[in-house]
Amino acid sequence: MTAVVARPSSVDLEPSLGAQTWEMSKRAIIALARQPALVVPSLVFPLFFLALGSSSFARAINLPGFPEVDSYLDFGVAGAIMQGVLFGSVTGAAALATDIENGFFDRLIASPVARPSIIVGRLAGAMAFGAAQTVFFLVVLLPFGLNVEGGVLGGLVLVASGTLISLCVGALMSMMALRTGSSEAVQGAFPLLFILLFFSSAFFPRQTMQGVYGDLAGYNPVSYIIEGMRDIVIDGVSAWAVVRAVLIPAALCVFTVLLAMRSMNKRLARG
Amino acid sequence: MSIDSTTRTTKSGSGHKPRSVAFTALWPSSVGLGMRNVRNIRRLPSAFLPSLLMPIIQAVAFSGTFFAVTQIPGFPTDRSINWYLPLGVILGCGFAGIGVGFTTVRDIESGFYDRLRMTPVPRLALITGPTLGALIRALVVTTTVFLVGLLIGARLTDGMLGLLMLYVASLGVATLGTFWGLALAYRFRDMRGAAIMQLTFFLALFLSDAQTPLSVMEGWLHGVARVNPFTNILRLGRQGFLGDVTWANTWGGLVAIAAICALTLWFAVASLNRLRD
Amino acid sequence: MSPTAPIVTEGLQRYFGSGDDLVKAVDGVDLEIKPGEVFGFLGPNGAGKSTTVRMLTTLLRPTGGAAFVAGYDIVAQANEVRRNIGVALQDAAIDPLMTGAELLQLQAVLYGLPRSQHQTKASELLERVGLTAAADRRVGTYSGGMRRRLDLALSLIHEPSVLFLDEPTTGLDPLSRMNLWEEIRRLNHDGTTVLLTTQYLEEADQLAERIAIIDHGVIVREGEPEALKTSVGCPTLFVSVERDEEDTATEVLGRFGDLRPSHEGTLGVGLLHGPGEVSNVVRQLDEAGVAVRNLELHEPSLDDVFAEATGYRLEGAAENPDGGDGSDEVDDK
Repeated sequence: MTAVVARPSSVDLEPSLGAQTWEMSKRAIIALARQPALVVPSLVFPLFFLALGSSSFARAINLPGFPEVDSYLDFGVAGAIMQGVLFGSVTGAAALATDIENGFFDRLIASPVARPSIIVGRLAGAMAFGAAQTVFFLVVLLPFGLNVEGGVLGGLVLVASGTLISLCVGALMSMMALRTGSSEAVQGAFPLLFILLFFSSAFFPRQTMQGVYGDLAGYNPVSYIIEGMRDIVIDGVSAWAVVRAVLIPAALCVFTVLLAMRSMNKRLARG
Repeated sequence: MSIDSTTRTTKSGSGHKPRSVAFTALWPSSVGLGMRNVRNIRRLPSAFLPSLLMPIIQAVAFSGTFFAVTQIPGFPTDRSINWYLPLGVILGCGFAGIGVGFTTVRDIESGFYDRLRMTPVPRLALITGPTLGALIRALVVTTTVFLVGLLIGARLTDGMLGLLMLYVASLGVATLGTFWGLALAYRFRDMRGAAIMQLTFFLALFLSDAQTPLSVMEGWLHGVARVNPFTNILRLGRQGFLGDVTWANTWGGLVAIAAICALTLWFAVASLNRLRD
Repeated sequence: MSPTAPIVTEGLQRYFGSGDDLVKAVDGVDLEIKPGEVFGFLGPNGAGKSTTVRMLTTLLRPTGGAAFVAGYDIVAQANEVRRNIGVALQDAAIDPLMTGAELLQLQAVLYGLPRSQHQTKASELLERVGLTAAADRRVGTYSGGMRRRLDLALSLIHEPSVLFLDEPTTGLDPLSRMNLWEEIRRLNHDGTTVLLTTQYLEEADQLAERIAIIDHGVIVREGEPEALKTSVGCPTLFVSVERDEEDTATEVLGRFGDLRPSHEGTLGVGLLHGPGEVSNVVRQLDEAGVAVRNLELHEPSLDDVFAEATGYRLEGAAENPDGGDGSDEVDDK
């Protein structure tokens, strides 16, 4: 026993990186769960718009350019998941910015917590929320006639896709939070996300759009992710669908997570 | 109660000071209070710019993404921007009005509103003043969004009369948005009220023929949109972009604006009165 | 029935909440403030001071009773009241986006001053409070003292006959405070009736011709400062002793008069037979084995009046929940 006491306590007490990361993610998730006012809009608004669309655009699905689909609900669910995850990701990043604003972040980095766990914890929280959102949308919409052709496997691919998109955008937003340290600036990204969503095939197929608008939607990676997810709902699981729904966000994640880490290091170097 | 305000002297107090000031009239005090809102356009652009950019982005995004919607048989125009421009304008003007509610919540929280309430202006001026400010903002929003709309392909179908109808609808919505925003600001006195005014206005506007005409939509929304007065207001504002301006497309919107304004004004006055409780 | 005094309250009440949560913030206040006087309104925080002022300035409706300001009923004739009063409320912020000149201009409009007077009136007031140079700067850039002076200018634009000043000098440096006192005296000299709430007893002593102390929603003392001080009677002796000797000391001091509320670590006693007793006090403490660390003799002050009335000492943090009317035994923990 005496030998243990004699050892420097920092070595003894410092939990593993994994445990720290788990604690940080738990904190991020609990923070979300405790603020329904922040969480509920990103769950309700996509459903509201999908409900509107299923009525407003019921006849649009017969237009040339639309895929063979039973209902606008089946067509639009991929866009709704994307909308929910995009807007939900702002919430987590704004919380990170608030941590920076009120000094909690400084306290964290002054503590022996491993640096990566601070940001990784946040992102893990964002991923968990993205997964939960996707499951929520699918479960709520099933009784209203949503038919996922890909079945349970297709559902799992959609959840994986939602999780990765959440990580991808969450990392991007966290980068903004770390760079600016202002929750207002992070929330100011809202219009950008709106544009990212609308200049894509989230609500109507790219094939129905014209001119510059159609071109922009063609350059927007969000279009391809949504189309992959949509194929899984309408046609079932295929390699090409999985590539677009899962691999594109995964590849983007590598990029955005690296950017977030770099911003983290810059902030640490500054402070 | 008749008070000769020009010759009245204090019945009490030091007694030597004639009260030479007349009762403050509704109009000048409203202008004074409204000017403050207008001045803040320049002083606090971060609060105004979103209400200008949002309708532009929205009109562009909707007309671009739903470009093909005009091909649905029976759609009343072949330009999607003609359908979505008035929606963007009306949304923007509604938020210009609701922005007054935001300002008022801030004023109540900071205590500045106490100062205004202690002045001898008619209580109605506390409501009509900021409404004037909101109307000026709404004019800026409508004009700007319309000009941008022209650039990206919107066309008037019945000349200036149609444009006039758009202004009538948008200013009407700015007015009812202001009354609604003020009423909730007085009720809640904190930012909860701000969230509720935004959300309710948004829901009310979109549970209408905002996205597609009644004749094209199917299912649950049809029943809701048919009785939603905002469908009438949108019809009033849109008619100059869809065909000729007709009385049939006009009166329903005017009635809707008048009725909602009357109700929200009554609610705002009652709520303002409750600030003293 | 329109009373002639500038401010009259008759059984004024204001309750908040209901049932078990009922709070009687103001519970039957009777005041009569005479023309042309400066009236000091004192009370601990939450005693009902600002609730009373908010009612008198028409911001809040009373639950019961009546009040008349400048001869007008604060409920039925609220706008007439507003026209005749000037108010500088401590917590009524000023829009930081507006300039001083713009605020005065707005105030002039809202009080219905003829357009021709706006400019002259505004510059005159800015001059008077020393803000001419800062007139076109946004209020957000003003210092605390400048805001307070602008606040006063705003409340004077319509030459009110009754002025409400809510803690006008709180947070000001001594020089600014003196200047503001000067200005208040000048206004009063010109005939303005002033109701002044303050937590600085010295301020009330300096400015007010009469004061009222409110506690738990009721007026507990009212009168001229000198008369109130006299009513306290004998001077107060404050004695500091070691903590473990406090009980003995309390017993000894009790022989010389009633114990009075005092600050933490100090015992206070009203010397029944005057200052001549001090040497006896010291001797008897000495005989009882109490070592005196400090000794102060105070002539009756407003502080004593306040302490006797409420059981609190206003200045300084010490509060005494058992204080009662000051004649109970003081338990200084």
